Amino acid sequence: MNLEYLLNHYEEAVAMILFGIGFSNLLLQKNLIKKIIGLNIMDTATYLFLALKGYIDGRKAPVAVNGVTDVEAYVNPIPSGLVLTGIVVSVSVTALMLSLTIRLYRRYHTLDLDEITTRLKKEGK
Amino acid sequence: MDELLLIPIGLPILAGVVLLLSSFLECRRGVGTIGVGKGLSIFVSGVIGISAVLALTAAWQGEGEARLFSLLKGIPVYFRVDEAGRLFVTLVSIVWLLVTVYALAYMKEEKDGKRFFGFWLLLYGVLVGLDFAGNLVTMYFFYEMMTLASVPLVLHDGSRESIMAALKYLFYSLCGAYGGLFGIFFLYRYCDSLTFAPGGTLNLNAVQGQEGILLTAVFVMILGFGVKAGMLPFHAWLPTAHPVAPSPASAVLSSVIVKSGVLALLRAVFYIVGTDFLRGTWVQYGWMILSLLTVFVGSLLAFREKVFKKRLAYSTVSQVSYILFGLSLFEADAMTGAFLHVVFHAFVKCGLFLTAGIFLHCLHRQHVEELGGIGKRMPVMLWSYTLLSLALVGIPPACGFISKWYLGLGALQSETGIFSWMGPVILLVSALLTAGYLLPVSMKGFFPGKEGKAAEIMVSEEETKCSFGMLLPVVLLGGTAILAGIFPNPLIRYASDFAGKLLGMKGLG
Amino acid sequence: MELVQNFPFMSIILSLFSGPLCSILNGKWAKRVNTAVIILVGAMSAAVLVFVLDTGEPFIYRMGHFPAPWGNEIRVGVLEAFMAGFFCVIMLLCMMGGAREREQHIEESKRNLYYVMVNLLLCSLLALIYTNDLFTAYVFVEINTISACGLIMIRQTGRTIEAATRYMIMSLLGSGLLLLGICHLYAVTGHLLMSNIAQQVQVLAATYQYHTTLMVALGLMSVGLAIKSALYPFHAWLPDAYGYSTLSSSAILSSLVSKGYIFLLLKIFYRVMGFQVVTESRVVNVLFVFGILGMLMGSVNAIRTEDLKRMISYSSVAQIGYIYMGLGLATEAGTVASIYHVLSHAATKSLLFVAAAGLTDASRGNHFKDITGAGYRNKLAGVAFTTGSLSMVGMPMFSGFISKLFFAQAAVGHGVKMLPTFIALAISTILNAIYFMKTVIRIYTPMPKSEGRTISIEEQPSKSAALLLFVLLNLILGLNSEPVIRLIQSGLKMFD
Repeated sequence: MNLEYLLNHYEEAVAMILFGIGFSNLLLQKNLIKKIIGLNIMDTATYLFLALKGYIDGRKAPVAVNGVTDVEAYVNPIPSGLVLTGIVVSVSVTALMLSLTIRLYRRYHTLDLDEITTRLKKEGK
Repeated sequence: MDELLLIPIGLPILAGVVLLLSSFLECRRGVGTIGVGKGLSIFVSGVIGISAVLALTAAWQGEGEARLFSLLKGIPVYFRVDEAGRLFVTLVSIVWLLVTVYALAYMKEEKDGKRFFGFWLLLYGVLVGLDFAGNLVTMYFFYEMMTLASVPLVLHDGSRESIMAALKYLFYSLCGAYGGLFGIFFLYRYCDSLTFAPGGTLNLNAVQGQEGILLTAVFVMILGFGVKAGMLPFHAWLPTAHPVAPSPASAVLSSVIVKSGVLALLRAVFYIVGTDFLRGTWVQYGWMILSLLTVFVGSLLAFREKVFKKRLAYSTVSQVSYILFGLSLFEADAMTGAFLHVVFHAFVKCGLFLTAGIFLHCLHRQHVEELGGIGKRMPVMLWSYTLLSLALVGIPPACGFISKWYLGLGALQSETGIFSWMGPVILLVSALLTAGYLLPVSMKGFFPGKEGKAAEIMVSEEETKCSFGMLLPVVLLGGTAILAGIFPNPLIRYASDFAGKLLGMKGLG
Repeated sequence: MELVQNFPFMSIILSLFSGPLCSILNGKWAKRVNTAVIILVGAMSAAVLVFVLDTGEPFIYRMGHFPAPWGNEIRVGVLEAFMAGFFCVIMLLCMMGGAREREQHIEESKRNLYYVMVNLLLCSLLALIYTNDLFTAYVFVEINTISACGLIMIRQTGRTIEAATRYMIMSLLGSGLLLLGICHLYAVTGHLLMSNIAQQVQVLAATYQYHTTLMVALGLMSVGLAIKSALYPFHAWLPDAYGYSTLSSSAILSSLVSKGYIFLLLKIFYRVMGFQVVTESRVVNVLFVFGILGMLMGSVNAIRTEDLKRMISYSSVAQIGYIYMGLGLATEAGTVASIYHVLSHAATKSLLFVAAAGLTDASRGNHFKDITGAGYRNKLAGVAFTTGSLSMVGMPMFSGFISKLFFAQAAVGHGVKMLPTFIALAISTILNAIYFMKTVIRIYTPMPKSEGRTISIEEQPSKSAALLLFVLLNLILGLNSEPVIRLIQSGLKMFD
């Protein structure tokens, strides 16, 4: 039954797998740019999951063209709203991370966080 | 609610804070304070006098109790008068009265007198609070306050040595107190209440199946409170802290504050846990072994020590463990002996430290060898010293004999196997050692011999003029040591009633 | 609706918009605006607290025109108002204490930006405290992270940028998990407002539907917030971030930022999932275990470090461990103890940071060797540091003792968890005593020739005032804990 369930809801499974990929990249990659890519994959996976939850088969996007016809005609608009907010948040966070990366790169000419740490330790207090 | 109980606690604390504030302001204004002004001495003696009288009245008037604000839900700051509190408060008050007279004379030429007496008053209030404390948490509260208030007394002269000693003292005391706190956490779980009750409040049903844990907790607690009482292996702070403190401070440190550790143990073991639970367990034996070891090792170390105040400090380590050994036997006669020894040792050791203070203050001598021939110059003082030493060694008719007699008797009667005969043997050996390290000072002092003669000449007429205020307490204490040995009956009756009550209640409950 | 009921929303908006305002002012004026905003918000929170205590029940403030299931809400009870007020007090004192360091560490042209960050941080903390909407909470969690990152990296050295990067990475991992948890919860309940989710969760829990999903959501959110508040294995960023940023930043970060997340977690436990569900889940046990590990490992690390500020930072790891241990007990008493510890730790840790800065000021550096005898060179800082240390090691009279007793009291009669709690408390207390007393001994060890400069009380009036107020706050919490506890308890009752 479980396999069948998975096959029917493969989108969710994909979202979770993507989240895992993003999460482990953010956590384990040494390269800062790859970390940021991981972050974006992770966030996107979450939005995919959210969007899936709001989607109802055979209905249209909740955009009122020619006036509202019927509530039944549209998919749930709230997750879409959430996804939009989430994208804004993730964009700003990514921007911040990138700026931090630039700063670090200018100072140490490397993107490897661990190497930067060892170098800092070598510099001493 | 009995407000009378709160005055001897609150008044000295308040007066102490006032003194400290005024000393702080003076310091800020840059007015150096050397010596003790007349106003200050009247203020200090007045406050101590009034509070001591009130404390004694409160203690002997009956069973007063007072409840202050709640520290936690269901655990108020709670004071109550009972036998233990009565005994210890009387002790503290008498010692404090005498030593205050001495200290006022002693501090005449030292600096920062106001600060010293500020903490002095504070400490008295805290000690009375500790003795009257009616539950474990209140007691712990005042126990820690006592540590904090006594640290400044130790580091009074501000030298590097004294500060390091005071910090060592603080560290030992804090860690010890945590041992106690650890036990309190457990007891809170297993006891019906944390309010002191003779015979204990342990709920035996709740303990069922978890005896091992609780025993460990109690043992940690004994070790923790034992730090203050100078029990091995945590006795090292005593010989460090005593020599650097001003003599009045080391006198009360040794005679009263060390006894607070004994009181805390007494409260925890006899009033909360109860002897039933501990009798015959490894905790009891562990306690006994440690205290006997301390008795012996303390005397040995004192015997080897050349600095007079350090020698006395090691002697305290050894003598207080006499008390702890007496308590650990859970036997009526031994406990009677322990209580008697609490009283006697407090007076005797206080007197001895005051004597050492006179040597140090007037003659500037701190080594034992330098004291030859002083008997001719200061006969009254050396006689008092000799009497006090005899009392500590335990030679009849001086008082130490009686307490040690009861201790030995109790040990023989107790059914503790090997300890029932080993205890008295160690006590005897230690008494011999005590004689060995105390009496030579008297002997050298009266009969200096050839090399001592030279030292005698160096003691000038000028130096031996010791103020009356310093001599009086020493003489009084010396006299008490003998008188209490000759007429001990009221005290013995009180002590044995008390011991019987602590052990007897458990039979009924 | 009464005027007071607008105050929570107004304080959020006020601190939010004072941020951009600060960005166009110069440093001096920005500081004034910032101080005024904090005081005003504090006063408003006090008014709200009085109001809520008076009515005796929480109120709901509707934002916009939409009613409950759709619109966004603010919900205010005793605990929320109290926390908001308390946070303002701590923040004000931290800002006061760190004023001089800010002038040293931050370039003139960037000083106003610092106040932008502080205002934003205050805004996000308030929002986390007040909001009744999970997704709003998520957004403000991110704002909190960003502004905290700004606070760390405003002092531009290699260390701080690296620390800020590490902080961001860990925080982003945490918020990713939190968001995923919220999504799962939304998927099974269909709501975002906490109270509505709670109703649905009750129904689901009663019928045992979607049990796995609920537990997964709870676990994801707990772990996410635990990462963000530096629970033990996720603490690697903390010592660097606290240790090398400017003083007011480290004080605020350690005492407030992590506490905001803990408060949110508390809300999730009580208001979203319902305490019953949380108690039955195994998530609390995980928190309990990691809390205890944190208590011990944080202290061990603190003993090993040689740098004063890093030592205090590691001690934060240990104290966070205490808080999670209390939550992990999963009893009302445990939660009360944790909340009390949040207060006590906030008051004590910021005191320690400010006092430590005073001590290092009077010495050549942060290193342990340098601060020998600093207690004589800066008397007030020495006394304050000693007070803070005594509170941390649990001396009666100070707040730390009371919270330790509460933890013990909460653990009493807990069966399985009682013994580990007691042992952890005892060991961690001894460890605390070791490193704090070591430091106190060190700062009071007399130095033959003094190497630093002497600092009198008048020299830095604002820092001295902050230190005195911190000490006072500690004494109040330590000697008069009963009313605070009553507030916490009545606040918790209004929580669900």
